[in-house]
Amino acid sequence: MTDAKKRLNSQEFAQTVSEEMITSRSFWADARRRFLGHRLAVFSIFMLLALLLFAIFGHAFAQWSYEEIDWNVLGRIKTEGGPNWENGHYFGVDELGRDLFARVVQGSRTSLMVGFVAGPLAVLLGATLGALAGYFGGRLDQFIVGFYTIWISIPYIIFFVVWQAFFGRSLTQMILVIILVNWTAGLLIVRGQVMMLKNREFVDAARMLGMSDFAIIFKHLAPNILWVIVIYTSIVIPEVIMAESLVSFLGVGIQEPNTSWGALISEGAKTMTFGTLWQLGYPAAFFVIAQVSLYYIGDGLRDALDPKDRR
Amino acid sequence: MFNYTLRRILTVVPTLLVLIIFSFYLMRLAPGGPFTSEKPLPPAVMKNVLERYGMDQPLYVQLWTYIKNIVFHFDFGPSFSQKDRTVNDVIAQGFPVTLTYGFWSAVFVLVLGIPLGIVAALRHNSFWDYTMTGLAIFSQIFPNFVLAPILVLLFTLSWGLLPGGGWNGGQWEYIIMPAIALGTSYMAGVARLTRGSMLEVLNAPFILTARSKGLPERTIIWRHALKPALLPTLTYMGPVFVYMITGSVFIDVFFSTGGIGQDFIDGAYSRDYAMLLGLAVLYSLLTFTLNLLLDLMYAWIDPKVRSNL
Repeated sequence: MTDAKKRLNSQEFAQTVSEEMITSRSFWADARRRFLGHRLAVFSIFMLLALLLFAIFGHAFAQWSYEEIDWNVLGRIKTEGGPNWENGHYFGVDELGRDLFARVVQGSRTSLMVGFVAGPLAVLLGATLGALAGYFGGRLDQFIVGFYTIWISIPYIIFFVVWQAFFGRSLTQMILVIILVNWTAGLLIVRGQVMMLKNREFVDAARMLGMSDFAIIFKHLAPNILWVIVIYTSIVIPEVIMAESLVSFLGVGIQEPNTSWGALISEGAKTMTFGTLWQLGYPAAFFVIAQVSLYYIGDGLRDALDPKDRR
Repeated sequence: MFNYTLRRILTVVPTLLVLIIFSFYLMRLAPGGPFTSEKPLPPAVMKNVLERYGMDQPLYVQLWTYIKNIVFHFDFGPSFSQKDRTVNDVIAQGFPVTLTYGFWSAVFVLVLGIPLGIVAALRHNSFWDYTMTGLAIFSQIFPNFVLAPILVLLFTLSWGLLPGGGWNGGQWEYIIMPAIALGTSYMAGVARLTRGSMLEVLNAPFILTARSKGLPERTIIWRHALKPALLPTLTYMGPVFVYMITGSVFIDVFFSTGGIGQDFIDGAYSRDYAMLLGLAVLYSLLTFTLNLLLDLMYAWIDPKVRSNL
C-alpha cells in the first residue's frame, strides 16, 4: 500500500472528513474559503489595512504638522526639500515648505474617509430604492427606473463642481454630494434580484405569517441580496475615491490646508517642471496602491460571492 | 424609428428644464454671489450692478428670462466675472477646441480598443491576450489625472518630443497628448469588453454552423462574428461619452488647451452663475445628444431592438 492510500484509509482522515461533512458550510463560510484562495485579494487586504493604519496613526510618526511651514528649506526646495530622514521630512516638502509626509497622511485620511463612508452609504441608498422598486413594482418601479435612466445620462461631475462651488468645501459636504450623485450604484441589479426572489416560497410564508412588506424586505430579502451589495460596494469605493480625487485635482475639492490624494497629485503635477518629482511621486504612489488593492479585493469578492462567476 | 427619436427628444427637454431650474435656484440660494468681495461694494454701485445683470428682479422672472433667451436666441447671457465676454463668446471660442481633441480621443478609443479586443479574443490565452488584459487593468487604475502628468513627464520633460500644453490653433502635436490622456482608460475598457463579447460570440452555435459550411476564417469574423460582438461595446460607449465629457474638464485645465473646461472651473471659483449654468447645460446637452445618436445606432445594428421601438 502506498503512503497516499494509507492516509486515505487512516482513522484520522475518516474523522476529519466526516466532521467536515457534518458541519455543513454556510454560504458565507464557503465564500470566505474561496476568497482566501485568491492570493492577490488576500495580499490586497493587507495592503489596504496598512494604508488605513497609515492614515489613522501616521501623524504620530510625522515630525511636522500638515500645515506648518519649514522656513529652513523654503526657497531651497529643489535642492534641500527632497526626502530626507535627518530633518524629519521623510517624503520631502511641498512647494510651500510643508511636510509632505504629514500631508500625505492627511490626504489619505480624507480620500479613504470619503471612499469608505460615502461609497457604502451610496450603495445602501441605491439598493434600498432598487429593492423598493423591485418589490412593489408598478408605478413606483416605473418612476424609480425612469429617474435612474435620466440620471445616468447626466455628466454628474459637472454638477458636483457646481455644487462644490456654491456650498463650501468641507468633508461632510463632499460626502453628502457624493452620496447624492452616486445613488444609482447597484440599483438595477438589486431590483432584479428582488423581483426574482419576491415570488419564492419563503416570502409567501412570511407574508402568510402576517409580516409587513417592509419587514419582509429588510428581514428576509436583504440577507439574500447582501452578496450583491457587498460586490457593488467594492466597485463603488474606488470609483468614489477616483471622483473625489478628480474634483480635488480641479481645485474645487476639499478646502486647504486640508488635502486629499487628488489635491496632492495636482500640486505635484504643477511643480514637476522644477524637478521636484517627489511631490508628484508619493501621493500618486499612494493613490495607485489604494486603487490596485481595491481592484483586486473587488475581484476576489466577485469570485467568492457571485454564483455566475464560480470556477 | 421616427417616433422613437421624437419621444427621446421629448424626454430630453423636461430633463434639461428640471436641471436648469434646480441649478438656478441652488446657485441663487447659496450664500455669497459673484459680486461679494472682501471689500463690500457701496450700495449704490451694487444696485447698478445688480440692475445691469437683471438680478434685482424676482427669481422666477430671472429664470423665465434666462430660459426664454436660451430657447429663442440660444443666448446664455453675459458672463459675470469676465466683463467683456458673454457665455456665448466663451463657448464659441472654447467648444471647438474641446470637441476637436474629444473627437480624436474617441477615434483613438475605438480604432485601437476594438481591434485590440478582437485580436486578444482570436489569440485567446496567448501572450498577446495576457498582455492586453494586463494593460487593460493597469490603465483602469491609472485615471487621466495620474496618466496626464506621467505623459508630460515622459514626452515633454524627459524626451522633449511633444509640447506639454497649449493649443496653437490645433496643430497635431498639441492634440496627441490630450487625446491619449483622455482616452486611455476607456480604450482599455473597450478592448476588454470587445474581447469578452467576441469570445462569447465565437462559441455561439451560428459560428459553428459557419465553420462547418467551410467558410474562410476571415469571412466568419468579418461577416458573422463582428456585428453581434460589437453590440455590448456600443452600449458601453454611452457611459464612456459621459465620462469623457467630464474628463475633458480636467484635460482643459491640465493642458491649458483653451477649451471650455478651464472657463467652467474659473466660473466655479468666481461664482460666475451665468458661466457655470450655461456650460453645465451645454455639457448635458452634449451628453444627451451623443447618447441619443448611440441608441439610434444601436437600433440600426440590432434588429431585435429595432422591432421593439
